[in-house]
Amino acid sequence: MLTAIVLSMLALAPIGLLARHLPRPLIGWVLALLPLAAFAGFAARAPLVLEGGVLIETLPWVPEMGLSVRFSLDGLSLLFALLVSGIGTLIFLYTAYYLADDPGMGRFYVYLAIFMGAMLGLVLADNVLLLFIFWELTSVSSYLLVGYKHDYPEARRGAQMGLLITVGGGLALLVGLVLLSNAAGSFEISEIIGAGEELRASPFYTPALLLIFLGCFTKSAQFPFHIWLPNAMQAPTPASAYLHSATMVKAGVYLLARLHPALNETPLWIYTLTAVGGTTMLIGAAIALRKDDIKGLLAYSTVSMLGAMVLMAGIGGHDAPLALVTLILAHALYKGALFMLAGAVDHEAGTRKLSELGGLGREMPRTLVLTSLAALSAAGIPPLFGFVAKEELLHATTHSNLAPGVEMLVVGVTVVAAVLGILYAWRLVSGIFFGPAAPRKKAHVHDAPIGMLVAPGVLTLLSVILPLGLLPMVSALFQPAVMAIAGEPGEVSLHLMPSALSLPVVLSVVAIGSGAALTRFVKQISAAPSPLPAWLNGDRIYDAAISGLLNGTTAFTRAVQNGRLRNYIRYSLLALLAVILTPLALFAPGNAPVPDLSNITLPEIVTALLVPLAILGTIRARSRLGAIIVTGVVGAMVSFMFVIYSGPDLALTQLLVEVISTVFFLLVFAVLPASFQRLSSAATRARDAVIALGIGATMAAFTWIAASSKLFPPISAVFKAEALAEGKGENVVNVILVDFRGFDTMGEITVLFIALLGTYAMLRLRPEADPTIAKMRGKTEPDAGFLGRRGRREMGIGSRDGHENGQDGAGAPAPVGQPGGSQEEG
Amino acid sequence: MNLILSLVVGTLFAGGIYLVLRRSVVKLMLGLVLLSHGAHLLIFLMGDGLIKARTPFVRAETGVAPPDSADPLIQALILTAIVISLGLLTFVMALAYRTDQAVGSDDLNAMTSTDQL
Repeated sequence: MLTAIVLSMLALAPIGLLARHLPRPLIGWVLALLPLAAFAGFAARAPLVLEGGVLIETLPWVPEMGLSVRFSLDGLSLLFALLVSGIGTLIFLYTAYYLADDPGMGRFYVYLAIFMGAMLGLVLADNVLLLFIFWELTSVSSYLLVGYKHDYPEARRGAQMGLLITVGGGLALLVGLVLLSNAAGSFEISEIIGAGEELRASPFYTPALLLIFLGCFTKSAQFPFHIWLPNAMQAPTPASAYLHSATMVKAGVYLLARLHPALNETPLWIYTLTAVGGTTMLIGAAIALRKDDIKGLLAYSTVSMLGAMVLMAGIGGHDAPLALVTLILAHALYKGALFMLAGAVDHEAGTRKLSELGGLGREMPRTLVLTSLAALSAAGIPPLFGFVAKEELLHATTHSNLAPGVEMLVVGVTVVAAVLGILYAWRLVSGIFFGPAAPRKKAHVHDAPIGMLVAPGVLTLLSVILPLGLLPMVSALFQPAVMAIAGEPGEVSLHLMPSALSLPVVLSVVAIGSGAALTRFVKQISAAPSPLPAWLNGDRIYDAAISGLLNGTTAFTRAVQNGRLRNYIRYSLLALLAVILTPLALFAPGNAPVPDLSNITLPEIVTALLVPLAILGTIRARSRLGAIIVTGVVGAMVSFMFVIYSGPDLALTQLLVEVISTVFFLLVFAVLPASFQRLSSAATRARDAVIALGIGATMAAFTWIAASSKLFPPISAVFKAEALAEGKGENVVNVILVDFRGFDTMGEITVLFIALLGTYAMLRLRPEADPTIAKMRGKTEPDAGFLGRRGRREMGIGSRDGHENGQDGAGAPAPVGQPGGSQEEG
Repeated sequence: MNLILSLVVGTLFAGGIYLVLRRSVVKLMLGLVLLSHGAHLLIFLMGDGLIKARTPFVRAETGVAPPDSADPLIQALILTAIVISLGLLTFVMALAYRTDQAVGSDDLNAMTSTDQL
């Protein structure tokens, strides 16, 4: 059933395209049946879970790798699944009105359905790899949702920022989850949770935990990764309300809660989450108070509440799990409603800026009532559900596992955040609906249509009626969820009114009292100049990092891929040097072979000495003839070595090849410059000399060590023994070439033939040689083939000399590089 | 002798690489020649030791080559390599020749308009 819900949600997503047709609101209602069916399905399974049962479904996927599609429904999953599908239904309804005039509405429904399927999969998955897949799927589908208005650069930027940050964290999460599974010996979450003791003792605990934290903090917009969430407000309001109040950003909190029983209670867990959550809670609330954009204000208040949830996951103590689930539900209810109402205001008034709004209370009474109730819940004013959550929050902070000093600090921060929460809630309501009316963007502002208010109305109604009489039901729903987080059974009972005067009650009264007192100064407080320097702005740092990355990679690509062959060679050589030199440096010093210098004859020494001399001559040669001659000397010396060391065939072939290539060289050099110019600068030449000498020394050492060691017996004995019997030949080398390794030789001949074809094509098949092409190009020379060129060389040589004197050759079509190497390396 | 020949291999590689890194096409070709010499000698040293005056020939009377004769497999491999080097060199020379006709320079930095080939 669980598998069916998740997969069918993903599979049925394309039917969202129906919404391209009219009548759109009606189709929106029909489409909302999809999440409603999922909600009903989960609700039908709720009794089983509330009795303490866990529904598990397994579908073999890659059994060889132990990978299965495994979903489980326990208390925590049930709470999230109900939230995702329930609020999803309302969002589908709301979208039908909000995007009624938008031609892309069908596409939007498709994205929403994919996102919902991914989110359901995430909260139901019982396999960490499966969870990761859905985790990334939520990132990708939210990218599509945030970037829905893709013709706006801000929307693209917001979508990209969200994707980069959450997917970057997702990669860290993957590594963390794999480490964790490795330590626990299973990819199944239920088994990982069972292995809590082992995990905390494992050496993988710290790295795995830090990586998982990184994934959760990026997803749940914790400081300093919170910057993507406000930018994601570029999404159409239904997406903001859904992703950024009820679902996507809660994924990190969900995972922390899910792994809580296995990983908590260590100082690393407690204090990291406390520090990050507390900072996020305070900073988010402070920034929210200063925001002019109402969606921005709500976004930062979401950041603040996410911080509070992470704090609850971290501080420990008996009451924190209950506070966490209460916060999750309360926040989803009021924040979803507030986002949708903000969207309604935007839709009707044409602006989301508090400075351009005001006095809308008379024109939009229904919206006013709903917004006020939801904002009261957000501010934690009794008797709304937000108050119950805030009570639990304060109660948990005063009964934590923290050190006493830290606990005092956390309590203080929580109270301050609560006061700020009251202030921004007041600012939101009063800024939109009360006070002097700002100049209207639209001439006639009407209240939002009833249809658009149904969804926020339902959520607000829940915020009101849940604490007034339905708390036993809510407690029953929370019971298994709290058990899943705490890892141990416990009684859950929520109360609206405290039975006795305790510290949390006093703190709550203090917060509400001071918040109410400060509402008079809310304008001054929100307009106060920021205490932070301008550069310390997450958005700016992000933009600088992205443009730095792009510029850096561009510069790197330009430097590395500059189209110059010798640069590529240079980089390859340096890499080769590193690859050979590292093992040499590590192993050679202790195992250097003893040089055997006995039995050396004079011819050997002379040959060996002539080679370096001839090489030097080749390098230093100023004339092409000199270069050919000294290169020929090298070849001759090499063949002489073959003579000395019993390789007559080699010597013969080498000598023949030497003659042929000398002839070729002379032919080619006949047309190339008669003498070399010094093209590169002294610095470049020195650098290349260093590289060349380094490679030479490395190769010499490598050759010597390799030649001196005999790890395996040579296989040539077989060839020697079988040459006459099998190959019918006395010259073993020849038998190998034509018989034992005949295919090798055939390949060699093929290569030679291809080289010949290429050479022929270059010398003979040319456009100038073909009269028709020459005519087409308007050239008159009838024949300019290899031999024809010789005749022309007599005439052209003058221009070539001109080029050698440092000028461009007359008629040379391409610009000639500056002698001296100023263009070197680009 | 291994040591001395290894040093020769090193100098061949050093010289060849230095020339390959030059801007002149002609020097690049000369560098290729030196590099192939170096590679051949390198392979030659990887055989069953350096042996003087014992060619890998089968004695007609015994039907087998003397066990202390030179390594024939290495020689066969180098023969193949030498011929392939010649093919490569020929191809590169033709390329350089055509390039010179089209660009009018043997400076690699001048070869920015290869479309004219």
